[in-house]
Amino acid sequence: MRLLGRWLAAQVGRAFLAAWAIASLVFLLSRLDAAKATDLLLGETDNLGTAVLRADADTIQHQARQAIEQRLGLAEPLFYTTRTQQAGTVSWHWHGLHNQYHRWLVGLLHGHLGLSFRDGQPIGPRWRAALAYTIPLTFLALLGAIVGALLVGLVLADGPQAALSGWRAGLHTLLTGLQGLPLFALALGLLFAFANPDMLNILPAYAGSPDDEELWGQRALRLVLPVLALVLAVLPELALLLAHTLRHELSTGYATTARAKGLSNGKLLRRHALPNAILPLLTALAGLLPALVAGAVVVETIFALPGTGRLLAEAVAMHDYPVVVAGVLFTALARLLALALADALYAWADPRIRLVP
Amino acid sequence: MGWLLLVLSAGLLAPWLPLAFLPAVPDLQHVAEAPSWAASPAHWLGTDTQGRDVLTELVYGARQVVSSSLPAALLATLVGALAGGAAGFWGNKGLRLPWAVWLAGVAVGWWALALPGRWPCSLALAGGAGLAWWRRRSRTAKPTGWPLPLDAMFQSALTLLSAVPRLVLVLVFAAGPALGTPQLVVLLVLVAWPEAASQVRTQMLRVRELPFVEAARAAGLPTWRVWYRHALPHACRPLLATAPLSLAGLIGLESTLAFLGVGRPPDVPSWGNLLGTLQQEPGAWWLLASAGGALVLTLLALQQLAQQFGQRA
Repeated sequence: MRLLGRWLAAQVGRAFLAAWAIASLVFLLSRLDAAKATDLLLGETDNLGTAVLRADADTIQHQARQAIEQRLGLAEPLFYTTRTQQAGTVSWHWHGLHNQYHRWLVGLLHGHLGLSFRDGQPIGPRWRAALAYTIPLTFLALLGAIVGALLVGLVLADGPQAALSGWRAGLHTLLTGLQGLPLFALALGLLFAFANPDMLNILPAYAGSPDDEELWGQRALRLVLPVLALVLAVLPELALLLAHTLRHELSTGYATTARAKGLSNGKLLRRHALPNAILPLLTALAGLLPALVAGAVVVETIFALPGTGRLLAEAVAMHDYPVVVAGVLFTALARLLALALADALYAWADPRIRLVP
Repeated sequence: MGWLLLVLSAGLLAPWLPLAFLPAVPDLQHVAEAPSWAASPAHWLGTDTQGRDVLTELVYGARQVVSSSLPAALLATLVGALAGGAAGFWGNKGLRLPWAVWLAGVAVGWWALALPGRWPCSLALAGGAGLAWWRRRSRTAKPTGWPLPLDAMFQSALTLLSAVPRLVLVLVFAAGPALGTPQLVVLLVLVAWPEAASQVRTQMLRVRELPFVEAARAAGLPTWRVWYRHALPHACRPLLATAPLSLAGLIGLESTLAFLGVGRPPDVPSWGNLLGTLQQEPGAWWLLASAGGALVLTLLALQQLAQQFGQRA
């Protein structure tokens, strides 16, 4: 148990370090391009300047730029040290703790994600509002994917052992085909098939609702298509993996013994093979949550859900870097959570791991 | 197979094909029209919401696939094979660089970064490197020096790149100014190489213990030659089956980027871009059928190819 604990801690620690490193990298890279951000804000204040004489426009523009840089904290140096190059000689400067990176890191530890470049508002509340849409979506999809994978995997592994035949082979081919499709094509296909005035118009296309007065049933109905798209995108990999392991387990000695004792095929699968086949599935589950969070970017854009994914996609399109950095942090956090969860489940599913002295 | 050849030739020959319309040039009299064969220069596959001819866009989209996804997949496989092969073969302790190389490396780094005391320190380090080299030449004993932790470096790069999913990583790095084709290829290679690399590494861990590698070592071949000529070709065997899948993944990723309208300028013709216009005209079945069909057919054909390669390998 102690050994497992140490291994788990090392694993999570590594993932944590990686998350910090990638977020810092994105932060630093994005701030190198900060001139664009102030241009973005200047664009909004430009119409104030039209009333002023043309000759003053340049100085006013300059002052406005400085004011914006001050407000967003872009006036300070970027990092602890900077390298300056003047007339061929290169020198290093030490800035101490008054730099953008330090400020960002400290703010992060206090739970402040920073200010948006676009409107200068804090990002935190916006993320919380978006999370209210993304968390139900992701967890419904997670649940659907797990249940679906278990069902489909069991169905695929059932039946004659020699080779897949009949409709099982068809299902297998279908799943393999689905596995290769990009999520956005899948979601567009679903949107076209089920929410189109020309085709079957049985499900609402756009999930985002402006009013909160809506009935719960309607809101759930709106989530059907996005969740279905996400589930279909991640299901094939899990189900095929499970079916493959199950078939492998069925060809081992203990399965033959159980069959010789007169156990039915279904019972053998569920009671004996499944507990052994579940471990590779748990490993795959660790990658599932991050995949769903990434998939949310596509699905929320297509189905017009105001969740975190769409926030991230819009921020990327508008060069709103602080929001992008927050998105990276959020995704990395989801992976951290998934990893810790998978480790805990691993210990629960396999007593051999628990019993390591 | 036939479809892949068609896409490849369409991509290569796009500028010389007898198409009635130019790419990215709107035909404003026919906007978002279903396919019709009545008009004299007919829009065989209809037009999109900006009046661009779908057939032309499809052909030039194939060009996009051939010019960015294909090189990216090839490069990623190459980089992955080399990096994974090296990490698997030498591990953390296998590659011992002599002291001279380390000192010379530090000297060059010191000089290039212009750390404090640029000239004296780098000169002293270079002198030390020379001294170490001379001493090494004078007595040829066992290889000494500090091992380069190749495997640890490789693993940490992998951990770093896998901290966020591929799609998010690409999105974030594409958030800056619009990318040209070379930058897009570099970005795709950056996110795609770990897949091939970890595969080759696992295979290499097995291959390096095999008798023929041992025999090559015993025959006195230089280590890098054993690696390059004997171990690496064997470790790269399974890549044949996964390279088409990796290409399929990259095509999907690139189309997703184009669909979201991130990274490339919006007038670059591509299948994802074409599918993106579907959002403004949800009833345009011809857009979904043509661009979606082309994408799906390509991906399925690549899957088939991977299966065939896998059976042969």
